[in-house]
Amino acid sequence: MSPDLLLALFTGAALFGVGIYGALSQTNLVMIMMGVELILAGALVNLVAFWRFLHPHSYAGQMFVLIVMTVMALEMAVGFGVAIARFRARGSVEMEEATELQG
Amino acid sequence: MNTLVIVLSLLAGAYLVAVLEAWLATGRFRLAAPAWAAVALLGRESIVPRTPDRIFFETAPVLLLIAALLAAAVLPLSPSMVMANLATGALFVNAALAYVLVALLMAGWGSDSAYALVGGWRFLGQVIAYSMLIVMPITAVAMRAESLLTTDIVSSQEAVWNILYQPIGFVLFFVASMAVAFLPPFDLPIAVGDLAGGVEAEYTGVRLAVFRLGRMVLVITLAAATTVFYLGGWMGPVLPPWAWSAIKILAVSAAMLLGGYTLPRIREAHLLAWCWKLGIPLALINLFIVGVMVLIWP
Amino acid sequence: MALISLQTVFIAFFGIAAIGFGIWVFRTSSMMRSALALLFSQTALGAMFLAMQAEFLGVLQIMMMATEMSIMAIFMVMFMMDPGGLGAMEMSHQKRLSILAGVAGALATAGIALFTQWGVVVTSAPAAAEQTRALGTELLGRSMLIFETAGVTILTAMIAATAVALPTLQRKRNA
Repeated sequence: MSPDLLLALFTGAALFGVGIYGALSQTNLVMIMMGVELILAGALVNLVAFWRFLHPHSYAGQMFVLIVMTVMALEMAVGFGVAIARFRARGSVEMEEATELQG
Repeated sequence: MNTLVIVLSLLAGAYLVAVLEAWLATGRFRLAAPAWAAVALLGRESIVPRTPDRIFFETAPVLLLIAALLAAAVLPLSPSMVMANLATGALFVNAALAYVLVALLMAGWGSDSAYALVGGWRFLGQVIAYSMLIVMPITAVAMRAESLLTTDIVSSQEAVWNILYQPIGFVLFFVASMAVAFLPPFDLPIAVGDLAGGVEAEYTGVRLAVFRLGRMVLVITLAAATTVFYLGGWMGPVLPPWAWSAIKILAVSAAMLLGGYTLPRIREAHLLAWCWKLGIPLALINLFIVGVMVLIWP
Repeated sequence: MALISLQTVFIAFFGIAAIGFGIWVFRTSSMMRSALALLFSQTALGAMFLAMQAEFLGVLQIMMMATEMSIMAIFMVMFMMDPGGLGAMEMSHQKRLSILAGVAGALATAGIALFTQWGVVVTSAPAAAEQTRALGTELLGRSMLIFETAGVTILTAMIAATAVALPTLQRKRNA
């Protein structure tokens, strides 16, 4: 069996891990969004690898990649909208200061 | 071999564009002017600003050159003279041109100077204005050719060139390409009057030479893209294909340089407003018209 | 063991590059470097798609991410107190937990990848032109509704994001 599929899946797994680390450890909203982007990038790699190595004649796989790319763009748009609103209201987008909802 | 020929002809084209630009700037036609300017730049001391972001500062001019060359790689000069005839050629041009933005942002941030920084961010705003006007007209072109292959796009214009078939798209693409290459009146990132050179303010010596070369190649590349997408590429009577390509590309780049030369520099806010309120609706109308026309008269 | 194919080498190379740049995103304190490292990570992924013969998707990824991450960069610089990273500010919290979660997530997904029976790996992919054509047919055929939904969702998100980001009337009056 060719190692290509596993290599691609491992890349996806590593990007997923790095993304989780980033999303959890960063204190700034924009940096957290970067972590989420990396997680989604990991998903992208997996989808392309599945399409290429398992079902190269089923284009629903490529279609799915397009949808994930859309989600990435949406995440950015909405995230930045929220970031601007929060910055206007509170003067920062640091997560340490976002304690309004703390019980 | 093919690659070498194309790169050399691109560089020759870039040289001619530089001659033209010097002619416009000084009012004297001197064929050797860019060569002397280049020698002067190469001989000059390369001053590095005090605390640059070294990685970005060094990469930016090279990235600009590479982006322009990559975009040129998929554009055919004759039926066989194309570096890489990708199945996604028309999309690849967009992808390569997107890195012009990255190069300018890197130059702006890396220089550690206020003017350069402002210039870099200005170009980001400029990209948001023009990018749709690059993508949508290309989409219309690809619709007519029913292919993203650049060679197919040229041969789809056998009967009527796209400049007549979709004139709105041509105008939009032409103006937007002037904005990509930050030629006047869209030279916001290097605005000589108000930003004192903007992104290239801190560049001297070899780096500035590479930066300028990259920009000249970019102008030639965009002229080649206009030729391929709208002016029937290599097609024309009597002369061999490559000669037609060369003539058209040089004519388009001359038009790009001359077109905005006497206009005052546009303001960033006005550029955004015009592009989004006028340009994008026009681009959509163009898409619609071309879609209908492809059905009735391909 | 047969000779390792060129495709494998490229996939591995770009994969490692993507991971490396991905890690660099969180290891530098300069916001610009962080955003551009993410861009290069995504570009390496695009190159990896190209190595996996998904030409359209690769080029699309390379194109989309350039603009997207540049916009990310300007927001980073806008919203960070120390965008240049000169003050050596601490920008992370719950480090141990995050590292644990990250490693656990990566190991779990890698383990799933390793221990699943993936079946037969197909060695040849359709030609690029054929792929582009088939993807277009898929988009405007069977998956058209999904694609339309994505389009409408983008529109909704654009309007919502703009509405959220616009200053309130009160604020405008004060300005």
